[in-house]
Amino acid sequence: MNIVHVNELTKMYKNNRGIEQVTFSIEEGEIFGFIGPNGAGKSTTIRTLLNFIYPTSGSATIFGKDIVKDAKEIRKHVGYLPSEVHYYDDMKVIELLMYSASFYKVSDRRLKQLAERLDLDIHKKIEDLSFGNRKKVGIVQALLHEPKLLILDEPTGGLDPLMQHTFFELLLEEREKGVTIFFSSHILSEVQKLCDRVAIIKEGKLIQVETIEHLTKNQLKHVTVVLEEGQHATFDLEGVVKKEVSGNEVMMLYRGDMNELIAQLHNLRIKDVSISEPSLEDVFMHYYEK
Amino acid sequence: MFKREWKRNAKSLVIWSAVLGGLILLTLSIFPQFAEQQKEVTKLLQSLPPAMIKAFGMDQLSIGDLTGYYGVRVYTMTTLLGSVYAATLAANIVAKEENDKTIEFLLAKPVTRSEILTKKWLVVTVNILILNAVSLLVSFIGFQMAKGYDVSLKAVYLLTMATVFLHFTFAAVAFLLSTMMRKTRNASSFALGLVFVTYFMSMMSSISDDLSFLKYVSPFKYVDAAPIINELQIDLLYMFLMIVIISVSIVSAYVIYQKKDIVV
Repeated sequence: MNIVHVNELTKMYKNNRGIEQVTFSIEEGEIFGFIGPNGAGKSTTIRTLLNFIYPTSGSATIFGKDIVKDAKEIRKHVGYLPSEVHYYDDMKVIELLMYSASFYKVSDRRLKQLAERLDLDIHKKIEDLSFGNRKKVGIVQALLHEPKLLILDEPTGGLDPLMQHTFFELLLEEREKGVTIFFSSHILSEVQKLCDRVAIIKEGKLIQVETIEHLTKNQLKHVTVVLEEGQHATFDLEGVVKKEVSGNEVMMLYRGDMNELIAQLHNLRIKDVSISEPSLEDVFMHYYEK
Repeated sequence: MFKREWKRNAKSLVIWSAVLGGLILLTLSIFPQFAEQQKEVTKLLQSLPPAMIKAFGMDQLSIGDLTGYYGVRVYTMTTLLGSVYAATLAANIVAKEENDKTIEFLLAKPVTRSEILTKKWLVVTVNILILNAVSLLVSFIGFQMAKGYDVSLKAVYLLTMATVFLHFTFAAVAFLLSTMMRKTRNASSFALGLVFVTYFMSMMSSISDDLSFLKYVSPFKYVDAAPIINELQIDLLYMFLMIVIISVSIVSAYVIYQKKDIVV
C-alpha cells in the first residue's frame, strides 16, 4: 500500500519558485530519501504534505486520505521533525514533551525510554539547550506517539556523530516495527546509508526516483588525474559523463568499466590520481545531462 | 492547549489586574476628600479650558457625586487601560506562534486551525472577563471606603457591561490582525495604535461639533459614560455596532487563518 502518494503537486509562491508537478509514492515500511540542495523545494513539499501551506494545484494523500481535507486525521499518525526546531522557550523539556503528548495517547514509559536513549536531560529549560539538544527534543517529540509515518526534514543537522548513530539505530528499529520514514536531506552519504529509495529534487522539480541500489550500480565515480609535464591524455572512453581539463589536471565523472580506465592510466606518467564517490552536485550534473 | 495558553498569559493578567485594581482603589479612596473640597474643585474645574471639560464628559456629569466621579475618573481608566490590555493580549496570542516559529510544532499535532483559534479566543475571553470582574470587585471595595456617598449601582453595572463590550471589540479586531500578521510586533503596534487613535477621536468628537461624525468611528464614543449614567441605558445602536464589529472580526479571523499559508 502507498503510505504517501503525491500527484502532480505544485506550489507557487508569489516571488519564489516552490515546487512544480512533483509526483512520487512512498510504500509502507520503506525509508524514502528526499534529496536536493538547499532551496530545491524539499521543505516546501513537506510543508504542503502537512498542510502548513496549500497546494497551488495537484493533490496528495497520506494513508489514503487527502492532505488538505483530512489534515487533522492524518496528523494523528504522523511524527514531524522540522529542520529547525523552535519551541516555547519558557517551557522545560519535560513540559514541552508532556504538552506534545497531550495531543495523543502516549505512555510515560516511552517518553523516558526515548529521552534516555538520546541522553537528553528533560528537566532543563528549552532556552538553555544547545542546538543539538533542541534537535534531540525534536526527535523525541516526533517519535513519542509512535506514529506510522515519520517525516524528517534534515534531521541530522546539529547532532554529533555518536548521536547520529543512535538516531539512525532508532529509525531502523522503527522501520522494523513497520513505520514508514520520509527522510529529507542534502547529505548524500546519510541517505545512501539509510534509505531504500531516493527521490532527487532540484529547482522545484523531481528529477529521478531510484533505489539506492540502482544509484550505486551506476557506479558514477569522480576521477581526478594530475599528469606529469608534457603528458597528454584524451580519455576517449565510453562512460565519461563529464570532463574538465585545466592545465595538466583532468577532472571527470566516469561510469564505465573500471578496467578500461585503469588500462588507460597505466600508459601515462601520473603525478597524482584520485577516484572517489561523486559529490551530490556531481550526481545532479549526471542527471541533468542525461 | 487551553491550559497552556492560560498559563502563558496568566502572569500578565495578574499584573494588569493588580495595576488597574490598585488605580481604581486609589482613585476611589480619595473621593471623600475630593467631595469635601468640592467648592474649590468646582472652581478649579471652571478654570479649566472648556474643551478639556468636554473631552472628559465633565460637562454632562457632576464629578462631585460618586457616580459621576466614577464615570469620569475610574471609567476612563477601565475603558482605556483595559482596552490596551485586551488589544495587546489578542494581538499577540495567534501571531506569537508564527513569530516564535512554534506554530510548526502546533500545526503538526492533530488539531485543526479552527480549534487552535477557538482555544486562543477562549483564553482572551476569560482573561477579559476576569480583568473586568476584578475591576468591579475593587470598585465595590472602593465604594465602601467612600461610605456615606450614594452611588447608582445600576449605572455602575451598565458601565461595566459597556466596558466589557468595548474590550471585546478591541480584542476581536486585534485578534483578526493577529491572524493576518506574522510578527507580533506589527500586530500589537497596529492594535495599540487603533486603541489610542480611536480614543483620541472620541475626545475630538466631544469637543467639536464639526467632528461629531467621528463618534461612529470610535468605540470609545459608543460607551460614553455621560449618556449611560444620565439615561441609565446603553444606546442600542452602539451596542449593535459593537456586536457587528466583534462578529465580523472573529469570522474573518477564522476564514483568513484557515486559508493562510504558514511558512516559518
